[in-house]
Amino acid sequence: MQFIIGMLLFVVVLGIVDSRLPWPSPKGDRN
Amino acid sequence: MITGHFGLAAGVKSKAPQVPLWALMFATVWLDIIFVPLFLAAIETLSAAPGVPPGYGGAIIHADYTHSLIGALILSALLGWLASIPWGRFSGMVIGLVSFSHWLLDLIVHRPDLPILPRNLFGLQRLGFGLWRFPAASAVVELAILLAGAWLYWRAALRVTGERRRGRNLATLSAALISVFGIIILTLDITGIGG
Repeated sequence: MQFIIGMLLFVVVLGIVDSRLPWPSPKGDRN
Repeated sequence: MITGHFGLAAGVKSKAPQVPLWALMFATVWLDIIFVPLFLAAIETLSAAPGVPPGYGGAIIHADYTHSLIGALILSALLGWLASIPWGRFSGMVIGLVSFSHWLLDLIVHRPDLPILPRNLFGLQRLGFGLWRFPAASAVVELAILLAGAWLYWRAALRVTGERRRGRNLATLSAALISVFGIIILTLDITGIGG
């Protein structure tokens, strides 16, 4: 269980750091 | 295999930069996320491979719904469709493909325990090339996928940040986090620490 929590934490932390980069918007390809 | 899945997701980010990294990371373990409640309900189970000490690569996974070929296709299509609602068709397709890549990577490492049809209907041949029989080789493959993915991600992140120093530092930090967390997860997976 700790392992799963650790992985979720990994995804959250990474998501926060990554979201501060100027990637194109995910909504850019809406159709 | 866990780290390899995350490495693949990081690599895909370099080719589909508009898809959020967290969503790719989520998609790459989507089949395992659905596996958890089924495991807790004893619908899907794990057992030790015969004659192999328990630990990294030593399990037979009886995930006859989430990790059957058709089950994985259905779950991946569902996730891709859900992602396409806010983010459009392309992002949805990428998310669906990343989700299904989980099954393809598992096919390489699992012993033949992956059914084609849910519940292994009709008793068809189970699939799995069994790289886990060689744990060291499997770990090296996972590490290679992780580092390749982190490197591809880093290059793409540097491209989008341009010359801005703060952005470049952030890109490097993010790629370093992928590598370090991935190595920690692989280490925990191999040693069995953390359950």
